[in-house]
Amino acid sequence: MSISREEVLHVAKLAELQVTDAEAKALAGQLDGIVRFVDQLRGAEVPAGTPEFTVGPARVTLREDAVAPIPLDRSPERMAPDWQDGFYVVPRLAHQEGES
Amino acid sequence: MSAVKNIVDAVRTGRVTAKRVVERTEELLRTTAAKGLNAALEWSPEYLGREASRVASRGSRGALAAVPVAVKDNIATLDLPTTCASRILDGYISPFEATAVKRLRDAGAFAACKANMDEFAMGSSTEYSAFGRVLHPEFPDRVPGGSSGGSAALVAAGVVPVALGSETGGSVRQPASFCGVVGLKPTYGRVSRHGLVSFGSSLDCISIFGQSVDDTARVLHVISGHDPLDATSADLPPAEIRAPRTDLKGITLGLPDEYFPADLHPGVKAALDGAIAAAQVLGATIKRVSLTHAKYTVPTYYIVNPAEAAANLARYDGVRYGKRDGGSQVDLRGLYRASRGTGFGPEVRRRILVGTYVLSAGYADAYYHQAMKMRTLIHRDFTDAFDGGVDFLLTPTTPTPAFKAGEKTDDPVTMYLADIFVAGASLAGLPAISIPAGRDEGLPIGMQLIGPAMSEPAMLAVSAAFESALDARKEVRG
Repeated sequence: MSISREEVLHVAKLAELQVTDAEAKALAGQLDGIVRFVDQLRGAEVPAGTPEFTVGPARVTLREDAVAPIPLDRSPERMAPDWQDGFYVVPRLAHQEGES
Repeated sequence: MSAVKNIVDAVRTGRVTAKRVVERTEELLRTTAAKGLNAALEWSPEYLGREASRVASRGSRGALAAVPVAVKDNIATLDLPTTCASRILDGYISPFEATAVKRLRDAGAFAACKANMDEFAMGSSTEYSAFGRVLHPEFPDRVPGGSSGGSAALVAAGVVPVALGSETGGSVRQPASFCGVVGLKPTYGRVSRHGLVSFGSSLDCISIFGQSVDDTARVLHVISGHDPLDATSADLPPAEIRAPRTDLKGITLGLPDEYFPADLHPGVKAALDGAIAAAQVLGATIKRVSLTHAKYTVPTYYIVNPAEAAANLARYDGVRYGKRDGGSQVDLRGLYRASRGTGFGPEVRRRILVGTYVLSAGYADAYYHQAMKMRTLIHRDFTDAFDGGVDFLLTPTTPTPAFKAGEKTDDPVTMYLADIFVAGASLAGLPAISIPAGRDEGLPIGMQLIGPAMSEPAMLAVSAAFESALDARKEVRG
């Protein structure tokens, strides 16, 4: 198999990652090398019924089912790239018909 | 030797003041910065001045009174930025503190600085930091290992006795081996992940560097134990500190055939031969074992890791915190893509793309789900060895000593293979430690012990026996 420039651009779109055409060409070669390397796993013998791995303690301790404020040392306002009147400011999501 | 104990005892007996320890740390940070090591990212005289007052006001209280700790820059601190060495989080200050950092400070320690790292902990050489590569403290043309290379270099250079790093697949043991210090990855769940910036959530562990085994054990004792803020933290008390073993009678060490290939670097082989001989002199039983799925370790890791990374790093969108780019873009997607496209460096972009690819429709079964089943088989190989009477596996930590800067950055797969002996324990969630085992042409070489889940107290006691028996500065090939 071989990963094309178009596939890189498609995956970049899925990942919400800006990739220029020039970058896509170089990335196609790198990703192709990585995928060829991990591809050896596809031929590995895995007995039927082998479960997928879960890590960590066999039992987790659930906290009380109650809503409590999360104590933050700094307000979201101080971290936000753009903030106004208690809201995160983002580019407009939609335009009404006829509106510029 | 215990640098931590020396500091605690000196402060407790009044030989040194806590304020003087902080001042000395500042002097060492300055000296190291002047040498261009580039291991420390954020710290300032003003910040350390505040810490000096806080630490001094506590007197000699606490198991780690006045102990300076370097903290990897992906572990949240309130008074210093947490950037993950990434442009996308440049200047970001966390609104909460990692549980491990809080426990260290409650025990009297202080965060000396944030330590440089591969961006978002993706790398094996600390060449992928957005703020420049970290130099090996003794061989500037070589890498300190990664991704916690800054933490390792600061401990090896004697700036701090201990440091926090993080492991997703060997990112503490590998640099510990390259820099000639101790590096411990605890069992998954032993140390709270609260405040560790998520990368591979089923793999990530806050881990420890120490100048000695004793230093490492003291820090583990303080930071381990159940934390209600991390649902995956084990409901166990802190890891106890056991007396170091002076012999290895009654201990069986397994040597996995797959970790001793015929083409193993001759210096690494000589160091391991020395460690095995020392273990026999100390009374250990040596047993050859086979971990039959070991050959699939690195490919499995480099499917699971990018898949989890792609999901975790989706949160960096330029909206709630971090860098925003593409402000002139008219739509939200444009803002996401521009912020992420310019905020992430080359290795992070590669992993996000690979992770998205292996999780995408048509490929998830062949790659991701196959890898998660292989992970079960890799874990089973380890538990079969332990069930068969092996107490710990003894292996090399790395296939070679520290390599030269720039040697592997053009070929991601070659870089990934630097993790070949460390990724297995991470995939299986098991504890493992790297201990200095000698030098080859001056370059440090580490040996690794891998143990059953939650075996850290016994593993550290055994590690101390190796530490005493091996001369870490000795040339292993004469």
